Formats: sequence, structure tokens, C-alpha cells
Amino acid sequence: MLDVQNLTIEYTTAAGPLRAVEDVSFTLQRGESLGIVGESGCGKTTATRALLRLLPKNGAITAGRILFDGDDLVRKSDAEIRRLRHRHIALISQSAMNALNPVYTVGEQIKEGIRAHTRMSDQEARARCVEVFGLVGLEAKRLDSYPHQLSGGMKQRAVIAMALSLEPEIIVADEPTTALDVVVQGRILQRLRQIRERISSSMIFITHDISVVGESCETIIVMYGGRIMERADTRSFFRAPAHPYSMGLQNAFPSIADIGHADLVSIPGSPPDLLAPQPGCRFRARCPFADADACQTRTPPLLQVADRHWAACWYTDQAAGFRARARDHATWRKAAADGR
Amino acid sequence: MAVFVAKRLATMILMLLLVATMIFLMFRTMPGDPTASMVDPSIPREARQALLERYGLHESLWTQYRIFMADLVRLDFGSSYFYNRPVLEVIGERLPATLILMFAAMLFAYALGVLGGAWMAWNRGTWREAAGITFSLIFRSAPTFWVGLMAVMLFAVTLGWFPAQGMRTTGYTGDTFREVFVSLDFLRHLILPAAVAGLYFLATPLLIMRNSMLEVMSEDYIEMARAKGLREIRILYKHAARNALLPVVTAGALFIGAAIGGQVLIEVVFSWPGLGREIVQAVTRSDYPLAQGIFIIISALVMSMNLAADIVYGLLDPRITYH
Ligand SMILES: Nc1ncnc2c1ncn2[C@@H]1O[C@H](COP(=O)(O)OP(=O)(O)OP(=O)(O)O)[C@@H](O)[C@H]1O
Ligand SMILES: [Mg+2]
Repeated sequence: MLDVQNLTIEYTTAAGPLRAVEDVSFTLQRGESLGIVGESGCGKTTATRALLRLLPKNGAITAGRILFDGDDLVRKSDAEIRRLRHRHIALISQSAMNALNPVYTVGEQIKEGIRAHTRMSDQEARARCVEVFGLVGLEAKRLDSYPHQLSGGMKQRAVIAMALSLEPEIIVADEPTTALDVVVQGRILQRLRQIRERISSSMIFITHDISVVGESCETIIVMYGGRIMERADTRSFFRAPAHPYSMGLQNAFPSIADIGHADLVSIPGSPPDLLAPQPGCRFRARCPFADADACQTRTPPLLQVADRHWAACWYTDQAAGFRARARDHATWRKAAADGR
Repeated sequence: MAVFVAKRLATMILMLLLVATMIFLMFRTMPGDPTASMVDPSIPREARQALLERYGLHESLWTQYRIFMADLVRLDFGSSYFYNRPVLEVIGERLPATLILMFAAMLFAYALGVLGGAWMAWNRGTWREAAGITFSLIFRSAPTFWVGLMAVMLFAVTLGWFPAQGMRTTGYTGDTFREVFVSLDFLRHLILPAAVAGLYFLATPLLIMRNSMLEVMSEDYIEMARAKGLREIRILYKHAARNALLPVVTAGALFIGAAIGGQVLIEVVFSWPGLGREIVQAVTRSDYPLAQGIFIIISALVMSMNLAADIVYGLLDPRITYH
């Protein structure tokens, strides 16, 4: 249904062009749930905003295609894109806390979205609001509340309800729960999973928390420095990650990961400079297994390592050995020291 | 809400009494013999004494103050020396003219400022934005009386589109409010001074609206509105402008005090028979009861406008609750 091909996105900045997303390709089937993980600044938000053509003014798609039911969204007119937003591809924004306009009631804001795309009367739209509020577990009377009268968790659910209101084919959820405490987070994620099972929307789920992807998504994409490092069936990915970065994500702090809160920034070192991209693998400076040759000079393409499993690493054939060594913290500390 | 307004009104009355005290002291502690400016010192001694006694100026300061305040709470501002009529009557005649001119100018400035400020934010970084800023700042920094005179020269004298001065065509005398203010002739007289005053006021709402719009446009709920597939114009005016308006209202309330100064100049330039012109004349004629009265009325005006701004603010922003 959605077929993203070689998507590249650049921001114009004072310091020159910043390539936030490079050569990203993936597909999304009807009803499929896709998780995108990666540390802060790796381009997750940028890549998914592009699906709605919602990039900031200084951002532009410089290459690639986004095929939605066969039509290239990159080439569509603004009016066509506007009709597509919300109705077909809906967004649950990264900062749902601030995604509601403070001067209108929640109900008014949901109704507005419904009525912008349908011919529903005010009462019909209201009935629809009550329905989706039920789905996310909010009382109908909350529709008449202003955002400041709701708790963080309620606001989040209201934003989710808004995204569901037109039963879009695709829901893009950009870190929908980061601002909430862990308990509320868990409840909302569970609710999202249940809803997705009930309605047939596909979902793109962006998160820092790799364990969330394990629970709710069929497919996972690991991004690093604007590129896809690994793309796989979730089960295959957790059984045998093929990219050293993915191994780092899974293994760096397994004890914390176990309680469901893996901290991604904990791989030693910092992400690459997107302003001055160098040839070679993006992850090489922090990779404990990088060599002095191919990894430094040639950017690895996504190579198939198993059924529905690809990784952008020159040494996928040695992945089993890497996995064993990646379990040892010392491996990572040494890489960080060498990388400097 | 009603409680809030009542409380604010009570505070206002207290503040007005304070202002009245200050005004009273201001006039009495001016350098030199205060009575000299009130009663012509060259007239014979006995006659002077009689006059002083008639106006109560021979009493001690404290007694004068008690009488002044006691009259004030009964809304008795005394009699104008010049007109020989109760001050309140004179003010009552002048007040509508001032209010109408001021509201017309504010309406003009705020309508243009709010819509234009939003439009400028929308055209961020283009020549249109720069032109809007320059335009509004020219009228803010140019002396109002000069702009007024230029406007009179161009539109009244050269082009003859509007009358040059006054509120009604010379020779006309109307008695009732309706006769004076509800007519096309009045409207024609109003346009030029209202436009000149409005252009002077314009920079404040325009620039604040632009800044606050730019800030609001980067809020997450604006991106969300886009993600909902709303039209840009709807996002601009329904979602962004409504929020951007809040600081404009606040600034407007603060600005009203400053605007009175501009109002005085405009009334003088256009011979507009309002309070602004009257106060200048009252001071030059040493008509102290009238001057005091106008000062107090203007203070009350500024305070009520501030209250009005607070109420508007609450209507615009549901997060505000009145206590
Ligand atoms: N408007 C912009 N102008 C210039 N650079 C930008 C802009 N927005 C994002 N970037 C840069 O693009 C890169 C990718 O940003 P993006 O927001 O897509 O990352 P992300 O993966 O969503 O991060 P996070 O997890 O923190 O949300 C970052 O290096 C960021 O600094
Ligand atoms: Mg992001």
C-alpha cells in the first residue's frame, strides 16, 4: 500500500545542507505495524513527516518516491496532499502534550478534522467523536473540556482519538508516549494495540524504546545517521540482529531493557555529523567491528541476511560472532576509545 | 465573573480617589502662590479676597481637600471658572466626541493591525513584511501633529475630499446627541482625524501581532492542524491568530494610557471639540476645576479600558478564570 523508495531529505541550514534522511526505502502493507527506532536526531521524525509532506520550510525531499496506492506523493499538488492528510494518513504527533490548541475544546478540534474531509453534519461528527472517545477510553463529556483541563494521559488519548476519527489507512505515531510516565505509557500503548487490531489501519510507530517495538510491531527499521541500518521482521530481528548497531541497542544494557526501558544513547560515542557526511559506513566510528578498508570507504547497501531481514553491513556473514562479542560491555568501550 | 468585575470596580474606585488626591495636590503645590494663578492678582485686594472666599480658596489646604473629596464622591466636580457652568456638564458635552474619535481610531488600528500582522507573519522574510514594518513605524515616529497637518493639506485643502477641521460643518448647531453625532456630515468629519490617530496607533497591534503570530506558527498544534488537512487560511486565522491575539490585547490595554497623549494632539490639530482639546484650553485658561475634572475622567477612562481588556482576554483564553 505504501512504498517508499530511496527517500532523501535535506534541510537548508546556515552551515550548509544537512542530509537528515538518505536513501531510505521500505514498504508498509495494509494492516501492518512498522516500528522505527534509532537515537535522537537520526531522522525518524523527518522521514515520517515527509509521508504527509509536512516538512519544515527549510526541508525538502531531494530524491526518491513515496508511492501510496501507486501514486507518488512527492509529485502531488498541495490541495491533493491536504485531502490525503488525516483522511488517509493521520499523525499522532511527537509532542501530543502541545498538539491541541489551547483555546478550543477537544471536541471542537476533533470535529473540525472530521468535517474538513467529510460532509458529516455537526451532530454526526459529534457522534463520531463520542465513538472514538469510547475507543480510547475517554468519557464523552470530556469532549467539552479544554486541553488544559485534561491530564497528560487524557490529552494523549484525545490526540489518538483524533487520529482515529476518520479510520485512516495509515496512522503515524511519533513517539506518542514519551512525555508520559511509565505506567500511563504502558496503558496507552496497550490501548493502541487493541484499537489497531479492531480497525484495520496500518501503523508506523516511532520510538526510542526498542522493547515497545518488540511488543507491538511486525516489522522494525533501525535508523542511524539518516540511513536504515537494519530492516527486518521483528521476530527475526530480536532472535538474530545482523547489524552491530542493532546489537548495541539490544545488548548494551540488557538489565534495563528487561524492565522495558532500554536507553538507546548508551552506546558510547555520538552520532555522525550530518552536515559533512563522509564516505563509508555511518556507524563505523562507534562500531567495535569496523575494519580499516571497506567500512571506511564504501557505504554498505541493505543486504538480505534472511527471509524478510536486511542489514546495511559489509560483514553480515560474521554476524553470529559479532553477536557473541557484543554482549560484553568491554567491546563497546574499546570501540569508543578507538573511535576518538 | 460578576464577582470579578465587582471587585475590579471597587479597586478602580479606590484608585480613582487616590488619583484625585494626587491631582488635587498637584494643582495646589505648584510653585508660587497657588491662588495667584486662580484669581487675577492685579485686581483690588478686597475684590480678590471676596473672590477667594467665593471659591473657598482662603480655607486651609486640609479643609479644601475635605470639601473637594466630599464633593467628588457625590460626583460634584464644581464649576468651571471659564464657562461658569458645572464641570460635569462641560465634560458630558465633550466626552462623546472624544470617545467616538478614540474608538474609531482604535478600531481602525486594531482591525488593520491584527489582520495585517497575521498577514505579515505569513509573508515572513519577503518585501511585503518589510514594507508593513516600515509603513507602521513611519507613522509611529513621525510627529502626530505634522502627519495631521499633512493629511489636512492633502485630503482637505488640495483634494477637498474631507473637511479640514471641526466635528460638524461651521454654522451647524445641534442640541441632542442624535442631532450632533448621527449624520453623514459627522462621519465625513470623523474620517480624517480617526485615520491619522489610527495610523499613529497602528504600529503597536501590527508589530505585536506579527511577533506573536511567528511564535504561535511554530507551535505543535499548528503542525497538528496542518496534519489534519486544514486549509492554510483556516490555520492562519482560526488556529494561529486566535492565540496570537492574546498578547495584542494585553499590550492594547497598556497602550491606552499612552494613546491619550496622541489623542490630545489630534484633537488640537483637527479642532475636534473633545476632552483632549478642552484640557489644553482649561490649563491655559487656569480653569482648574475643569482641568481637574477632565484629568479624573480620563483616569477613569483608562482604568475602564484596562478592565475591558482583561474581560476580553478571558473571553479569548479559556485558561483564564476570574477570581
Ligand atoms: N527544521 C530543521 N532544520 C535543520 N535541521 C533540522 C530541522 N529539523 C531537524 N533537523 C535535523 O535533522 C536531523 C533529524 O532530525 P529528526 O527530528 O528527524 O530526528 P528524530 O530521529 O526524530 O529525533 P528525535 O528522536 O529526537 O525526535 C537532526 O540532526 C536535526 O538536527
Ligand atoms: Mg523525532
